[in-house]
Amino acid sequence: MPAQANANVIALQLEKVRDKVPLLYERDDILLTMIQQRGDVEKISSRNMRLPLQVNPGGKAGSYNADGGDLGRGSGTAYDVAQVSPIFFRFAIEITKLVEYATNGRERAIENAAKREVANGMKQFRAFLDKLMQTAGNGVLGTINSIASTTFTMAVPSGAALVYVGQTVQVYDTTLTTNRGTCTVTACDPINAQTITVDVVPGGTVATDVIVHDGLSGAQPVSLFGIKYHQNAATTGTWLNLNRATYPVQLQTPRVNAGNAALTPSNVRLAINKVRKSLGINHVAKLIAYMAVEQEHAWENLGITVSQIIKEGGNSDGNDLDLLFSGRKTMSGIPIKSSVNADQTRVDFLDLSHWGRAVLKDIDFYEVNGNTVFPIYGASGGLAASYIFYFDTAFQVWDDSPRTGAFIDTLARPSGY
Amino acid sequence: MIQVLRETHDTPESVAHSLELAGGINRFREPNYRAVWGWNRLAWIGGKFEERDPATGALLREVVELRQEPKYPAVNRWHIEKWLPPETYGSPRAWWAQTVEIEGGRSVPALGPYPARGEYEHCVTLEGPRGEFLQITPTVAEHIARAIEWSRRHPRSAGKRALYDREQLQERNYDAYAYDILDDAVPAFHRQPFVTVR
Repeated sequence: MPAQANANVIALQLEKVRDKVPLLYERDDILLTMIQQRGDVEKISSRNMRLPLQVNPGGKAGSYNADGGDLGRGSGTAYDVAQVSPIFFRFAIEITKLVEYATNGRERAIENAAKREVANGMKQFRAFLDKLMQTAGNGVLGTINSIASTTFTMAVPSGAALVYVGQTVQVYDTTLTTNRGTCTVTACDPINAQTITVDVVPGGTVATDVIVHDGLSGAQPVSLFGIKYHQNAATTGTWLNLNRATYPVQLQTPRVNAGNAALTPSNVRLAINKVRKSLGINHVAKLIAYMAVEQEHAWENLGITVSQIIKEGGNSDGNDLDLLFSGRKTMSGIPIKSSVNADQTRVDFLDLSHWGRAVLKDIDFYEVNGNTVFPIYGASGGLAASYIFYFDTAFQVWDDSPRTGAFIDTLARPSGY
Repeated sequence: MIQVLRETHDTPESVAHSLELAGGINRFREPNYRAVWGWNRLAWIGGKFEERDPATGALLREVVELRQEPKYPAVNRWHIEKWLPPETYGSPRAWWAQTVEIEGGRSVPALGPYPARGEYEHCVTLEGPRGEFLQITPTVAEHIARAIEWSRRHPRSAGKRALYDREQLQERNYDAYAYDILDDAVPAFHRQPFVTVR
């Protein structure tokens, strides 16, 4: 009988935590999982999920001449079908043998290493998918403004917010046609300089090129359909396999262009009112205002809300407030949900009851014949002193009513960002 | 059966007085802070309204007009508002440029006329921690006004730092939560008895 391999022991440890993985994933604290918590989840096969949409009303209204006049003909409601197909995402975690040797007590060391990597890996995977939720469905994580050696200065709004150190990314040309190659992020500054440093700049990379996540290939790649895909005022292109030009009004999300000016209460009222005008005065009760921390700060700067410094600062005024009231910060009465990943120049008003996820495979360890941990092989063909396991999931995000939301874009960032 | 379609309440005198004392008055000698009942607070909304069948959601008709409608979604709650000066809204020309919508060949100011005397904007909706109704009292109203004024005195850099600190705290909370979950998954002492068994 062969000697027990380290990978076999690790598999036991991972199995112990296996049923906890969904708990770590489905937390109501990022946009992606808010959709899970508040929207629909549809289990689907590998075939497209179909979303029937009522695109035009039916019936012919009008007056008529009752004295023998012609009442005319009628019409019926027009429907079309949006379609969603899932995208597979994976997150690979590799642990070296040294981790096991780093502490005394063999089983304990393995257990701790596996546990730590499951927790860290899940956190990073959630963050990665949440970052994709901020994009326009093409996997673009940022646009290169300028290049200095191996450092890219990224264009705001996304800046360097959607990548993480150690991530493998690809550089595409601005039309998303030419894949220039792959590189690894070695440093990034998403707060101040908005720079990304990579190990090696792919040949032919120029300013205006874009960075996409690993795993995409070919021209016009398709990734997770994020906020900018669904909350979009364009009248050309496609949306869930429908031609936007065919339904330029029905598929268009109301937009307020802030013109690079700072956020004002009138921007917010304009956006909310657009939803109210199209869907009814009482409809906005379900909305949330989703924005980057920068725009939450811009709202605080207007001086009409109890700022975070009071809520979190340990000041007696703030603590009393939280005891008395819900403590929810609002934007003209709409609850605020902010994120460090969100577009820094945009505020989205979302009705998450219209959003959902088409799930082909729930988050879990990638498994082959019952194995979830796999050995790494060295260049010689022998075993390498490390092993690998994966999380994977397959899903796509849909929104069955793009007109139910609204957004303000091209907002200025507050000074100091 | 009598169905109440719209319930209105005037702000209690004592609350209005407390807010005036806490927040002071503006250049028009009006209070900087005021409390309003949701159904009482109307604001202009102009443009093309789509009227839909409540049962089916089907579009019934489209109307281009200027209406006064409740400003805030929570119509059955008290709201605290703060007065903002007219310059907050830019010049009348800028207001016009930004808010006028052209519908059916007609120009409609989407937010009504320029707020030449400033406008009251939403600060807080009075609700309990689970969104339940909370009656307004002079103490509550004064407390909120003082908290907002207190916020305004802090430098903006401190506000920025507080927001990022909150995000980092959420990260740490997630880490702690994750380790707790995984600790539960792996029994203490690896299922080894920790009391000597003979």
